Formats: sequence, structure tokens, C-alpha cells
Amino acid sequence: MYVLYFFPIFVEYCEIYINTKLMGVSLEKIFEKFPNRRREDMIPLLQAIQDNHGFLSEEIISAVGDYLRISVNKIYGVATFYDNFRFGPVGKFHIRLCHGTACHVAGGGSLLKELERILKISDGECDKQGLFSLEVVSCIGACGLAPLIEVNDMYYTNLDLQSLKELIESFREKENSAL
Amino acid sequence: MDFQIEVNNKHIKVKEGETLLTALRGHGIRIPTLCHMNRFSPTGACRLCVVEVEGKRDLITSCSFPVEDGMKVKTNSRRVIQARKALVELLLSNHPDDCLYCVRNGHCELQWLAESMNIKERKYFGNKNTHYPDYSSTSVARDPAKCILCSRCVRICEEVQLVTAIDFISRGNQTMVNSAFNKGLNVSSCIHCGQCIQVCPTAALTDISHQEKVLAALDKKDVRVMFMISPSVAASIADILGLKIKDNPLELICSALRRCGADKVFHLGAASDINIREEASNLVRSIQNAGNGMPLLSSCCPAWVRYVEEFRPEWITSLSKTKSPQQIMGALIKTNYANQNGIPVEQVYNVAVMPCVGKKYEASREENTHKGISETDAVLTVRELLQLLRSCGLDITNTEGELLDKPFDQSSGAAWKMGYSGGKAEAVAREAFLMMGGKPDAFKFNAPKNISGRKETKIQIGGKQVGFAWVSSISDAEEYLQQLSEDGREDIHYVEIMACLSGCAGGGGQPISRGFEQVIARKKLCMEMEKNCDVSDPKDNPALKAFFGDDQFLSEDDEVKNWLRTDFKERRVVK
Repeated sequence: MYVLYFFPIFVEYCEIYINTKLMGVSLEKIFEKFPNRRREDMIPLLQAIQDNHGFLSEEIISAVGDYLRISVNKIYGVATFYDNFRFGPVGKFHIRLCHGTACHVAGGGSLLKELERILKISDGECDKQGLFSLEVVSCIGACGLAPLIEVNDMYYTNLDLQSLKELIESFREKENSAL
Repeated sequence: MDFQIEVNNKHIKVKEGETLLTALRGHGIRIPTLCHMNRFSPTGACRLCVVEVEGKRDLITSCSFPVEDGMKVKTNSRRVIQARKALVELLLSNHPDDCLYCVRNGHCELQWLAESMNIKERKYFGNKNTHYPDYSSTSVARDPAKCILCSRCVRICEEVQLVTAIDFISRGNQTMVNSAFNKGLNVSSCIHCGQCIQVCPTAALTDISHQEKVLAALDKKDVRVMFMISPSVAASIADILGLKIKDNPLELICSALRRCGADKVFHLGAASDINIREEASNLVRSIQNAGNGMPLLSSCCPAWVRYVEEFRPEWITSLSKTKSPQQIMGALIKTNYANQNGIPVEQVYNVAVMPCVGKKYEASREENTHKGISETDAVLTVRELLQLLRSCGLDITNTEGELLDKPFDQSSGAAWKMGYSGGKAEAVAREAFLMMGGKPDAFKFNAPKNISGRKETKIQIGGKQVGFAWVSSISDAEEYLQQLSEDGREDIHYVEIMACLSGCAGGGGQPISRGFEQVIARKKLCMEMEKNCDVSDPKDNPALKAFFGDDQFLSEDDEVKNWLRTDFKERRVVK
């Protein structure tokens, strides 16, 4: 019974995982950029892999450990130390919501609540369709344009609840028309 | 060069280059620490060793500060005491208040500190982190809720054992010591040496207790509980309870265990004798066949075996295929002994008492289980044995010793040598020497005295020069064996390797040691008790002679193989 219950989620997760694995270049190609296998290559290597694969899976961290000849646990420890490294898949539209002081004052908190309501995901999660993922970050550095979100390296600024809703709707439409 | 420094208005002489902490401790001044470990580089993580130095604005950590000429130090000013007290109170604010239910109650460094700093109430209130204990391993249990993040276990796992099964995960107040991907120790690269338990100041790392299992078995009417006592357990019990050697600690333990309901109490040294004989005969055979390449590596330390299986599978072929004493005796009891005495195997319950938590893992290895029946059913560490005796209300300092049970009632002096690093190499060397017709008086074994690093010696066996070496701790073993193969040396034929520093005397299942002096004391006790034995060589052990007749266990028989020989295989883990 438990197996049946978890099965759909498991299938969904696998699909997202396979998608992210297929995008970008292979691990070996990235490893080639770090031929010296030095200890200090660890963080740049992890960053390069995350840029390509979207997140750091257990398999990837193990592969990095084998390549750099460092204990996997050590790499996992370093990766969990930094907020920038992700260990779960991201959606097609990765939303980074600024929660710095200026954005907080300008209503960033209510934007977060609204996003959680309409996307039905919370910080650090990805929705079942693999479309949206949400990450709350500290100051992005555009305080004059607060409150703002960043979606796949594009900034959407001076938002309010209405414009946020429209923005999400436009992403959905974009996805539907592409299909 | 000597420096003059002033400490608490008193002038003392200190050596140049040493840290303030070691200088002060050498003069009888107690400085509390939680993260400091001798022979390790200082981290300054716990900050409990702070002292006030005149001319310095801030308090300084004495563990990482070298002494300077003419410095004026205050170790117990109000400022220092308040700073230390606040630190302990902050540690306690995220610590469960369950000292009464804690295995380390009474042996906990945090508890001692809180007591010595006169902390009588909780000062800082706040949300505690939620952590879940990890009982997935067969030997080591972790409870992160009790962890104070001193990094001792992380350092010993990484620097001494080269394993890094546990490390700091996450950051800030979310930091915890955990295995890779928070998956649990059973899938990590843990080699079950238990050194982390020895260094842990609190109960964040403990052994998986078999005490309840044993008590349940003792309670059942149709189960016959066979205890096997390792000689080094007797030494460490003698050390911790202050028993005299002439009272024979092993016999005192035997009598106490019979009061607990043990059916039979055996001397594990008898199995050590078998192990030594078998390994010596294998060694002689490989020397005669002009053994080439890697030397024969001892395999009686389960942690070392596990390390080879995980990290160095190419060395598996060099490992001795002889079972460890615990498994030899476990298998012997369940096969030969049970058959001879008409006891059904299902009714036999073997309990080994060991100075080691790795033996718990070894007992659970699939090679040591046949058709659902494991050779050793439970393993008690010395800590658990002491606990068992306490809970049964038995005071072994006030009892009379009883003789152990036949057929495994005595051992040779050589078996006691298994208790410390270098002992087994000597015992095997002597046995091989005697096998090749050497005279007992002619045997000389020059053992270097250093504790860590390489130790080699050479003796003449049967006209050939045979090299013996022994190392303790995985980092020393790794370094030594790599050097052997790099230099292409073929003059070393046998290497004894123990995963714990100084061998089983410093084992993970020993009582939590208060310093390395205690390890040395246990080793010395082993050496003294060795002299008390009636026979010094395994081949003269009367118990084995009576049980086996003449050496039939040294044959290449298939039936013998089951209880005497084992096999190893590569293991893939997250490493």
C-alpha cells in the first residue's frame, strides 16, 4: 500500500532528475577543465556542475569525490555549508525571491506568501510538474527596485501582488504555447 | 630555552615553543577544555581554555597560544571564570536535560564542567534543535542531540583513521556531525573502530548496546549462555577496579558471570592460541614457498579488515585468512563443542566480552553466519560488562575467583600478548621460530619502544631472515604499507596491524580513558599477567591438547576450514 502511495511522486522525481541530467554537458567534460585534481578546485568544480546540471545529486557528489580523491563526506560538508548549492531539482522557472531588508520593508513577505499560495510550494521546493521552483535568498543587490524576484537570471522589479500573479500567469502561458 | 612566566602571582619555568595550556597543566593548574586532544594540532573551537594575559585586550585561548617570556597570566580571574561559565551555559542551552537516563552519566565531560563551574540552573532558554538518533550501524550509535560540536570525533576519524565517515554538515546553528548525505552510519565508510566513542566528551557517540539481548538470553530456561572472556578485558577490569594480579581477575569475572546466570565461561585466550598457531604455520608455509610481494597482514582486527575491504581492496589477498579469536571460539562452541556435548546448536548463545566495538560488527558479518546461526550472538564491551555487573549487584572486588570452564579454561602467555600492539607479531614470530625447530631460549625479539610510527624487527627462522613489523592506527598502517611497496622491500614477511593506537589496550570498547596513561597501564597489566601463565607457548596449551589431540586443526581439511578460516571481499560504500 505504501508503495502505491509513493509511486507517483517517485516517478515524477525521476523524470525531473533525468531531465536535469540530460541538459548541459557531461560530468567528464566539466572534470576536464580541472585537470590538476587539487583540493582547492572543489568549490569551482561544484559550481560548474551545478550550473550545468541544476543541482548536486548524491551521484554527482560521489563522482566529484572519486575525481578529486577527497572523502565524499568532506565535499558534502562543504556543499551544505554554502547556501548556493542545491541538492534537489529546480523547475523550468527557478524563482529566487529577495528577502533582504529593503524588499522586506517593501512587502517581500507578502510576495512570498502569495507565491506559496499560487504555486503550492514553499522555500527550497519544486512543484510536481517541474515547472516552478522557489528559493528565498538574501539581498540580491537591487534595493532601489524593491520588492523583486529573479527568474532564470531575469529581474522582475517593483512588484505587487497583482503584477506578481500576472507574471506567474505569463510564465504558464509561455510554457503552454511552447508545448 | 626556558622562559619565566607569572601565573596567578607565582613564577614558573616553562619551555619555549610549548603552548600555554601544556605549560600550565604541567604545573598543576587545571584548564578546562572540550576540544583539545593531545598529539593533535589545536583548533580553539570550544574556547573553554581561555585565560587572561596582561597587556592583551581579549581573553586568549591557551590551547593555541605559545608561551612568551615574562608573560603575566591569570587563569582564575573573575572575568575568565564568568566567560567559561557562560560558554558552558550556552552549550547546555541546546543540550537535552536527561543526564539521569544517559549512558555517560557520571563519565560525561560536560557534566563535570557544569558541576565544577557551579551551574545550578538553566540560564538560557530557547528552542532546541530537533535531532534524531542514528542506530543504523552494527556497532556505533549516534545521538546528535547530545553533540556539542567539539570536532574531536571528526578529527580522529579523518586524521588518525583516514576514514572521514563523519564530518560537519550544514552551517550556523544547523551544524551537526553526520555521515555523508545524512544517510546513517551503516552506509557510510565507518570502519567500526570506535575511536570516536573514546574521544567523545558526551554521549553523542556510544556503542550499540547488546546488554538487553544478553540479559534476555540469560533469563530463558532453554538457552545456554556461553561467555567468552578476552584476556585484555581482564586487564582493563583489573585496571579500573584496582584488582591485584595474584587474585586472577579473569577468575573473579568468571565467578561474577556465573552469578549472573552464565552457563559456561570460557577463556578466549585459547582461541587466540589457535589463531597464533594457524597464522604462524601459514607464515612458515609462505616463507618456504619463497613468498613474494606483499607481506602477510594480520586480520584479527575487524576495523582494519573493514578498512582494507573498503579502501584498499587490492590488499585483500594479503590478509591472513584465519578467523579472529572471537569467531574461532564462537564457531568451535557451536560445532565441535555442541556436538560433543549433545547440545542443540539453537540452544547455544555465545556472548563475547571484548575491549572493542568493532567486534560487534564482526559478529554480524555474513561470513560469520551460517544458515541463520551466527557464530557469536552478542558482544559486550568492557563498559557494558561493568554495567552488567553493576546492574546485577555484583561486587567482584569482594568475591572469590572460580576456575573457568573446560575445555577452554586456559591460555598460554602468548594469548595475553594479543592485548597490545606488537604482541601478536612477537607471538607469531616465536611460534614460527619454534615450529622450525628453534630453541625457546634462543628466541630474541627486539621490540622498539615508540608508540606510533614504524616498528620492525628481524629474526632468524629456519636459516632465513624473516622480517616482522607492527603498526597501530590506520594512518600509520597506510603510510607503512605504501612505503613498503614503493621501496619494493621484500624483507618484511609479517605485519601486525591494529586500528586503535597501541592496539586493543586503546580499543573503542574500553572504559572511557582519562588519557593515554591508562592505555599504557592496561598494556603493562597484560604483560604482567602474561608472566603468570603456566605455559608460555600456544603449542603447549594443555586445554587445546586435551580438546584436539595432536594439532589436527592445522590441517587443510574442509571441515576445519569452516571454523578456522574466513574470507574477505570488496565493499562499496559512500567514501
